Amino acid sequence: MATLLVITILIPLIAGLGTAFAPALSRDQARKIALGTVVVTLGLSLILLVGFRPEVHGPQFAFQSLDGHYGLSWIEKPNIRLAFGLDGLSLWLFVLTSILMITAVCASWESIGERAPQYYGFLLALQTGLLGLFASLDVVLFYIFFEFTLIPLFFLIGLWGGPKRKKAAVTFFLYTLAGSLLTLLGVIALVAVHYQYSKGHILTFSIPELTSGLKVIEWDAWYDTGSWTSPQVLIFMLLLAGFAIKVPMFPFHTWLPLAHVEAPTAGSIVLAGVLLKVGTYGLMRFNLGMTPRGAEAMFPLIAVMAVAGVIYGALAALAQTDVKRLVAYSSVSHMGFIVLGIFAFNATGLDGAVIQQINHGLTTGALFACVGMVYERYHTRELAQMGGLWNRFPLLAFFFMMAAMGSAAVPGLCGFTGEFPILVGTFGVAPRTAVLAATGMILGAAYLLWMLCKLLFGPLKEPGGHDAHPGETGHGGHTSIPGIAWYEIAGLSPLLVLIVLIGVYPPPFLDQSKQGVAKLVTELPPQAGVTVPSTHDLARAPGGPKPLIATAAATTPMAAASPGDRP
Amino acid sequence: MSQSAIDVARNAARFLLPEFLLLATAIAIMTAAAFTKQSRKLWCSIAALALVLALVSVWAQGNVHTDAYSSVVLNDDLSQSARIVLILTGLVILGFAHQEPSDERAGEFFGALLTINAGAMIVASANEIVLLFVGLELVSIPTYLILYLSRRHAASREAAVKYFFLSLFASSLLLYGLGFLYATTGIGNLKAIGFLLDKLPGVPQPQLGLLAIVFILAGLSFRLAAVPLHFYAPDVYQGSPIVIAALLSWVPKAVGILAMARVLTGVFATKEATDPLLQKAVIICWVIAATTMVLGNCVALLQTNLKRLLAYSSIAHAGYLMVGITAAFAIDNRAGDLYSGTESALYYLVAYAAMTLGVFGLLSAIVADGKGIETIDDLAGLGWSKPWVGLGLAICLLSLAGIPPLAGFWAKFEVFSAIIAATRRDGSGMFLLLAVVGMLSAAAGAYYYLRLVVIMYLVDAPPKTDYTLRGGWPVLGSAAACVIMTVVLGLFSNPAVQAAKLAAQAALSRPAPPVAAALSEPADRRILRVAGD
Repeated sequence: MATLLVITILIPLIAGLGTAFAPALSRDQARKIALGTVVVTLGLSLILLVGFRPEVHGPQFAFQSLDGHYGLSWIEKPNIRLAFGLDGLSLWLFVLTSILMITAVCASWESIGERAPQYYGFLLALQTGLLGLFASLDVVLFYIFFEFTLIPLFFLIGLWGGPKRKKAAVTFFLYTLAGSLLTLLGVIALVAVHYQYSKGHILTFSIPELTSGLKVIEWDAWYDTGSWTSPQVLIFMLLLAGFAIKVPMFPFHTWLPLAHVEAPTAGSIVLAGVLLKVGTYGLMRFNLGMTPRGAEAMFPLIAVMAVAGVIYGALAALAQTDVKRLVAYSSVSHMGFIVLGIFAFNATGLDGAVIQQINHGLTTGALFACVGMVYERYHTRELAQMGGLWNRFPLLAFFFMMAAMGSAAVPGLCGFTGEFPILVGTFGVAPRTAVLAATGMILGAAYLLWMLCKLLFGPLKEPGGHDAHPGETGHGGHTSIPGIAWYEIAGLSPLLVLIVLIGVYPPPFLDQSKQGVAKLVTELPPQAGVTVPSTHDLARAPGGPKPLIATAAATTPMAAASPGDRP
Repeated sequence: MSQSAIDVARNAARFLLPEFLLLATAIAIMTAAAFTKQSRKLWCSIAALALVLALVSVWAQGNVHTDAYSSVVLNDDLSQSARIVLILTGLVILGFAHQEPSDERAGEFFGALLTINAGAMIVASANEIVLLFVGLELVSIPTYLILYLSRRHAASREAAVKYFFLSLFASSLLLYGLGFLYATTGIGNLKAIGFLLDKLPGVPQPQLGLLAIVFILAGLSFRLAAVPLHFYAPDVYQGSPIVIAALLSWVPKAVGILAMARVLTGVFATKEATDPLLQKAVIICWVIAATTMVLGNCVALLQTNLKRLLAYSSIAHAGYLMVGITAAFAIDNRAGDLYSGTESALYYLVAYAAMTLGVFGLLSAIVADGKGIETIDDLAGLGWSKPWVGLGLAICLLSLAGIPPLAGFWAKFEVFSAIIAATRRDGSGMFLLLAVVGMLSAAAGAYYYLRLVVIMYLVDAPPKTDYTLRGGWPVLGSAAACVIMTVVLGLFSNPAVQAAKLAAQAALSRPAPPVAAALSEPADRRILRVAGD
């Protein structure tokens, strides 16, 4: 299985390089190769998913050498390793990447004409970057994939994007790079601290070893979070710099609308669906996993940023006239929820955050795909110029509606199973924050329904043509506009199935991530930090929010892991 | 084992065989060129042959060590690895330059190139103050010649004169500093000076030591093109042919860092980190590093002339190298398995050689509409009309920007790891601040590299420029070697990293002295010290 994981990660890159450099490859050949590759990769990811054993602690599918290190040696001294493996936190993101890539290839099927081999080459390279990132068990390897993803996405936006693509690509690249370089400093500092103060001076770059090792190092200053300059808080802030931009958290979100609007549809799908999750994944792995006390001390700041993002994103979305911008701002809002769930410091919130990452990837990916399909037909994204599309493309409109409803957290669809536990978890820690964030849910429903209302319902209105009444669909210059094609259905239906499935019966999805979440929560420091309000203890008190879990997700047996479970 | 004077001379002659080989060839070429008229092809082939022979003789020397406290020349890991890298890059530069001089000047040109190479190699292995200075001058003086040989127009003459005077000034500063260094103990053997500074209480006399450090740093800053002696670089690069600019961006930097490893960090950095002299040295280096990085990266943002842009880029990289030197002053002997400052600077040099020579080489090969490349707009659409050249250039530029998984990323990673490892000893946050300044300026700096990539690839209309390539296989082959090394050093950096680690350890090592009963404290201090508590 360990070999299979490595193969799964490498297949897209190899196929991508082959596609990009093969001489005289036609568009049709290129897209068929790309589709074949992503389907094979998804198949392999599903095999991994089936083979994943949720009850096992620690990463799975990893090579383990005799001395207990994961992976193969890459650099001998200091010991940097090529180590891959999946655990509860990364498994679903890994699979999500494979699923959304199919949507991305399908969404590009007809819309990419020029330089198609290079386009698919970059797209597949991006997939390897993301799969490798989620599977990395070494901080340096993680960081390499983290930054490597910038290159393909830079070219995808810059070469196949909209009119302002150059500016969008450069802004995206530099903004993200600036933050991630600070994150690199934080990562190096973690390694240096662990080397200096751990028992026996262990120099390790391994994520599992650092996560557990940094909790028990013999350095009193490490556990003191009294001031901004205390080591753990400082490193927390350095780590936060890169991930906050990637998420993006308010006020570091300014690159996102531009990048989304200018990116080609597939770029938006991957960007919103997976790349933003890189930020939240990093927050869980590094900020929460390795500097939990810094996270506790900085909770007020994080909460303010997250809630501001939730409300600001929702209000900004309400004000948009361009559908793609609207969806982009909705991402800012929804990602704020996920951040809130992560820093709620309890299993409920974290469970919600993990599942909400998937939900957001599915729904936003589907929304961007739908927006792209509409744009391909009418070459506009202005809400004012379109209306009543249900009459013309009932199937597309149905997909659109389901994705929007899922995103708006309508009970029974996936968004609800994520956002509700997040709010419950947050409420136990900081009730006012939770109440404020809940308004974001209401606003979210408002702008999404408003968008659906304008775009799908009412009399048919098509740009360029005249307003038409239902039934008169065949007039104007639009008779040639094609209906929904097989590749569009193929790209959207897996997302739709999952949106419904997670909404109706989430336990199987939560089970897989249970162990990873439990590990993070049980390893949180035993007492609250200095600046955190005392309500914090509520989360861990027996009478706290734990009974609510049952409400949150039906029969989910989550957060049940006690320290005694460990081997 | 103590050596007699004859042993010393014999060993020196043996270890310096590759350098003598190069110098003899250089003298032969230059003399012969005055009397016979031959094509540059012949001179170039002879020079290449000499370099290959020198490479073989470096290899053949193997692992022979002599007593460090009496030898003038060391044959340790640092000198071995550095000489191999210098010869290989010498071959690359020879490949770029094989069409540069006209036939009548070719003999002098290639002779000067060989002398520069020999001088750089001497610096890498010198263990005596005087020999080190001779090596540095063997690099400087032929450089004046090369700059002046290509006198095409007023600007290149101006560049040559500017470089000449500033270089003389810097050399005299350096010599002054070396004089003070000699005065601290009264001996010229660098390992012995280091040993005595370590062991004798009250040595060096603080003011004397500080003067030595300040003047040596100032003199070598010129070679690195570090602030405040950086300002010649843009003018000189702009005024010289692109091949000469490639030479200037690499060889003096390598020489500067190697000389620092031999004469500064190798001598001083084994003292306790609390030593007041060392703390002052750290502060000086800190300031040089921070200002160089910020100035180089920020001013490069404003450039449109390609050679000026690359000049500021090379200044910025001098800043990153100085970060490594700062870390070297701060912790070096105590870095343990994590990257030490010297090690990171040495690795940075190797990575920098591959990526910067790749950029210069490819640029020198491109002809746009019958002219060489001058401004950044001359590159418009290059990525699509010459895909392989564009790809190579993009790889090298992204590597210079520090994007993984290329060589430049590991170089920055090592340098900033070293400086953060220094933080844990110091605790004042000073080094962390330097790292943050460095990272932010690197992010700003990424813009100008990225801008070139944007110009090459992200074009609205098909490019109107007609691109052709010149230089034939030697230029393209050398450039391809650089690009491949940039990728290989990124993906399989382990051999280079370990070589740099061994070289850095060699630079800092203090073998047990042959007669040191009086100073019997164990000399080997390369044990990780548990700090901070």
